[in-house]
Amino acid sequence: MKTTHITIAVALLAAASSTWAQKAGSISVEAGITQLSPQVSSGDLSAPSFPNVKADVSSATGISGALSYMVTDSIAVNVPLGLGFKHSITGAARAQGFGKLAEVSVLPMTVLGQYRFGDASAQFRPYVGAGLTYAKFYKETGSAALTALTNPGGTPTTFSVGSKIAPTVQVGVLLNIGEKWYVNAHYAKTFLTIKATYSTNQTQEIKLNPNAFSVGVGYKF
Amino acid sequence: MTSWKYALSALGAALVLAGCGGGGGGDQTTKASFTGFVNFGDSLSDVGTYKVGTIAALKGGQYTINSDTALNWTAVVAKAYALPAPCAAQTGLDGLATQGFSVPVTNVATCFSYAQGGARVTLQPGPGNKLLGGGNAVLGQLTVPVKDQMLAHLTKVGGAYTGKELVTVLAGGNDLFIQSGSIAPTIGALVASGQTPAAAQNAAVTDAVTAMGQAGAELAGYVKALVLAKGAKSVVVVNVPNVSKTPYALSQDAAAQGLVDLMTTTFNDQLKAGLAGTGVVLVDAYNESSEQARNPGPYGLTNVKDRACGTNALGGAALVCNASNVVAGDVSRYQYADDVHPTPYGYELLAKFVLSEMLKAGLL
Repeated sequence: MKTTHITIAVALLAAASSTWAQKAGSISVEAGITQLSPQVSSGDLSAPSFPNVKADVSSATGISGALSYMVTDSIAVNVPLGLGFKHSITGAARAQGFGKLAEVSVLPMTVLGQYRFGDASAQFRPYVGAGLTYAKFYKETGSAALTALTNPGGTPTTFSVGSKIAPTVQVGVLLNIGEKWYVNAHYAKTFLTIKATYSTNQTQEIKLNPNAFSVGVGYKF
Repeated sequence: MTSWKYALSALGAALVLAGCGGGGGGDQTTKASFTGFVNFGDSLSDVGTYKVGTIAALKGGQYTINSDTALNWTAVVAKAYALPAPCAAQTGLDGLATQGFSVPVTNVATCFSYAQGGARVTLQPGPGNKLLGGGNAVLGQLTVPVKDQMLAHLTKVGGAYTGKELVTVLAGGNDLFIQSGSIAPTIGALVASGQTPAAAQNAAVTDAVTAMGQAGAELAGYVKALVLAKGAKSVVVVNVPNVSKTPYALSQDAAAQGLVDLMTTTFNDQLKAGLAGTGVVLVDAYNESSEQARNPGPYGLTNVKDRACGTNALGGAALVCNASNVVAGDVSRYQYADDVHPTPYGYELLAKFVLSEMLKAGLL
């Protein structure tokens, strides 16, 4: 991932430019807000456990940004940036009513190829995108409740979530306002299943397939 | 082009954040905390009333596979709340002195686990009490009923709870064993007095089931009058697990198992009805143990039908069962130690279930 970012940074620096429409070679920077909304389908917590213990993962909203580079007038490379999203994990199914059991943060790093419809100078440019997301999970944090249910009276239960690469598809629309500024709204879907591994040697697979809704304001260089 | 630098530093910051560790066990503070732990009940909660004399010498004392690390469910709950381990409020035995089963009864001022093996809800004698004769007279369990346990605690603490204790109650199994045992003698007596065998059978069964309902209602009444009304605020009542799925019942025919089940559910129904609206956390161990018997895999149980304890000085009873006298093979994930008592693993499952219900009730 680092290599990709560096490549883009180099591309950004190279684009010293006078271009201000979304033409080949133009670069834009964007800031906004993103809501990450997992569409959870949880597997069972593995034995030894109550049967049918499932997890739910809350939505999270955070400040986001993006860098875009127009390869041609219609094709862009887009790199959304987030500062990390903190999600609550609650009990579901048999564990309904257990409340919040844990927390996990995720930093999704995505590279998308986009096809933007319309002329480079059009005010309204819908687009579609596809790419890969590297979902980096960190700060997996348990609770007194999680410990009581998995290792009562024992060592506090910890867990880790394996980071993963997953495909992402996207639809969005750009609204150009003047020559330099634009508003961007998009929806992205990532097909992501994670596996949580607990210090009690239990595991749980959770299909997250998050929806990401973003709106932002961008500036073209 | 300073904007580039901002963009790049944002990118850099994101990557740095991703590298952060953090996390871990998180805040281990339970939502509720207690200054004391008081337990009433029978062998399922007994942490060592009879761990004296020969019982102690045989490395027994709890109704499970005994060991230095074997915990009763109440002890597991105590650990989860960082409370001191529960200890027996009374110790002693009233059996045969020649076999080391006569040990003076001692009340321990600093211990609040009143649960005793053999204890019934209201009445003496319970199983193992010398008044029942035979093998019972050899062992001589004290079997102080739950009602008297509650009264003893009130006497000890000056008549009232502080409201900051966690109180657990689990009883009823011994009423079932006594009532089951009374059916055959009752039938005999009724037939001798001229009733037909069928009528006698009906009457005896009805008596036994009715008595169970009465015991369940009485237990609810004691929880209300002797615990809640005396100031206790955090009270967990565990109903009688599904006795019809224990080795005790599985060794009997289907009709007998059905009767055991009817007696259990009649007790539990009355208990539940009596506690409705009291704010007590009523833990449905009956339903949970039924689920464990039906679907043991997820619980990690490898055997839910057989006894882990082999032959021992008390005929295989869990009270003196330990690693030296269990059956061959790995019994660490067996549900049952003896006819009716769980292994340490079974107790841990019960503790987890109790804790999960306390969590739902906002007490964890």
